[in-house]
Amino acid sequence: MPVLPPNGMTSAGFDKALADFRRVLGDQWVLSGDEDRQTYIDPYALGDGLDHDCSAILAPSTVEEVQAILRIANQHKTPLWPVSRGKNLGYGAASPKEKGDIILDLSRMNRILDVDEKQAACLLEPGVGYFDLFRHLRERNLPLWMSVPGNSWGSVVGNALDRGIGYTPYGDHCETLCGLEVVLPDGSLVRTGMGAMQGAKGWQSYKYGYGPGWDQMFMQSNFGVVVKAGMWLQPEPEMTAKITLAIPEFDDAAWALDILCDLRRRDIIQHNVVFGSPVRAASTMSQRADWYTGEGALPDAVAEQMMKKLGLGWWNAKISLYGDEGSVMAQIALIRRLFEPRLGSALQFEVWKRGDPIEKSAAGIPTTMGLQCVNWYGGRGGHLSFAPVLPQDGAMALAYAKKIKAYYEEVGQDYYASFTIGRRHINNVSLILYNRDEPAAVARVDKLYRHLLKEAAASGFAEYRGHISYMDNVAASYDFADGALRKLNNRVKAALDPNNILAPGRNGIGTRA
Amino acid sequence: MIRSIALGLALIALPASAQTPATPAKTAPIKTANATPIATTALSAIFYGAKSANAGERLFGQKCAFCHIGPSTGKFMLARRMPKDQAELPSRTDLQPDYVKAVVRNGLVNMPTFTRVELTDAELNQIADWLGGRKTDSRKPNEHKKARK
Repeated sequence: MPVLPPNGMTSAGFDKALADFRRVLGDQWVLSGDEDRQTYIDPYALGDGLDHDCSAILAPSTVEEVQAILRIANQHKTPLWPVSRGKNLGYGAASPKEKGDIILDLSRMNRILDVDEKQAACLLEPGVGYFDLFRHLRERNLPLWMSVPGNSWGSVVGNALDRGIGYTPYGDHCETLCGLEVVLPDGSLVRTGMGAMQGAKGWQSYKYGYGPGWDQMFMQSNFGVVVKAGMWLQPEPEMTAKITLAIPEFDDAAWALDILCDLRRRDIIQHNVVFGSPVRAASTMSQRADWYTGEGALPDAVAEQMMKKLGLGWWNAKISLYGDEGSVMAQIALIRRLFEPRLGSALQFEVWKRGDPIEKSAAGIPTTMGLQCVNWYGGRGGHLSFAPVLPQDGAMALAYAKKIKAYYEEVGQDYYASFTIGRRHINNVSLILYNRDEPAAVARVDKLYRHLLKEAAASGFAEYRGHISYMDNVAASYDFADGALRKLNNRVKAALDPNNILAPGRNGIGTRA
Repeated sequence: MIRSIALGLALIALPASAQTPATPAKTAPIKTANATPIATTALSAIFYGAKSANAGERLFGQKCAFCHIGPSTGKFMLARRMPKDQAELPSRTDLQPDYVKAVVRNGLVNMPTFTRVELTDAELNQIADWLGGRKTDSRKPNEHKKARK
């Protein structure tokens, strides 16, 4: 691995910057050797990942160190790529969008600063992982539940800032944030919401403060480094019930999505529902070769064998209900009445009551089981996600799914889809699995992703989140009034970060030529 | 489409009093409707080693167990190429500390690398010594754990 001065820096200038960083952090927490750099290569990189290689890593442990790092970065015009824990797998993990940026790894800032049982809220540093927070709550027997994403290895705050999701009532993670502490690109410190008052007592109680609310500005952006975040937690309910509905036919997506979306809009279902295809389930417990070894896309007949053997439907929707006993029982009755006549069988929910083992409940329990899916094709696997936002219309979603499935088959990729049902939208996740060391697979993935982006944009559907390799492409698809939103983002960026030292190009903001 | 519109309207019109338990369907419950295909990490994995006297085992519990203990991806992949009773790392008797360190820093198949920020060399040494130190010991894992300080 050659030594890489960051974009726009000379080797001598880079050495001076590293020496200044070492003075602040100590030698141990400024990592620039090959061995350390290779541990930061995205494990799911398309190919060797060196196209997103970093030049060094800085690992501060305090807010003051982060402030000092940003001031030094401005002096030397050193681009920094902040990550909370660097586990944004499928989106580039810790790797910077632009090759040569220095990774600002906040993993050591991992304190749970406060958990307020009565307010059901906590205050976290960005290095706190889902497992850390879960252990903290359980060890203290606090009746507070968290929402967890499919890959729970990462940072609670980082996931929320990237608008990651989970599948419990607090699953819109960015909406559970309440009050941020942010180091701005010039090294100054700001608190949002009520925290803007010295000694404020309601920082985690009310999000908006007085005047504009800036929290969203720091999500999916490069306008500051979030060093503390307040977050709401779910008070433990009295009862939960859960079930996985197996919807038998592909075309059933239209009616089933309409029913589930209606229940979601009414808050009868209070969480993001995953509605996934057979490969989604099969890839968490088996490998492709267990089912099929042929070339090209997995034939439908094989998918049907999987469904039979694993007890799956063409679409599989996990539904959970939360509340007091009376309301959960009423919701069960309602869902049975809606689905049993169509599915032709009685639905049996797994019911949990307070005091039962938590595994039986519909609480968010952190897991890395979902990461198994990258082994689908064998070898060093990875996944890439394209997930445009659709309105809640079952027929529209089905028509779109048919088009996408046909294109997967055309390029020879196994179809893996899920629809995530949000409060007013459906997110059509097209997951693309691959063996990163197979050049033909990597080329296919790239072709497929670009096609999906184009197809979605032509249908009026835009992507909600983006992999580092495609951030500019996704940003360019937001093209109303000649890309006016991107221009606004770039104006804000230029005002706050005139040297463009903070994550240049993140989400297509401040991209350098 | 017509069906789903009608259903949406029916929902709107549904009074709370109507939400009594449905009449059980005539067919018996089938397993498919209740399948939970995606297992989650077991609590025993999340709290693995928490009370161990051995720092290496405690660290293994915090940093490794969620993939390598119980139903998760590390155990799952190892079960495909190891004897059945050695799919979980603490059951392995063939691990050398240097091998453990090399895998942790370089990754292996789908296992990602661990950086020296997430896991310092000193911490990795403790984990590797604990896992690797088991190779000559023929006692069962639990006895082993009790014996080690």
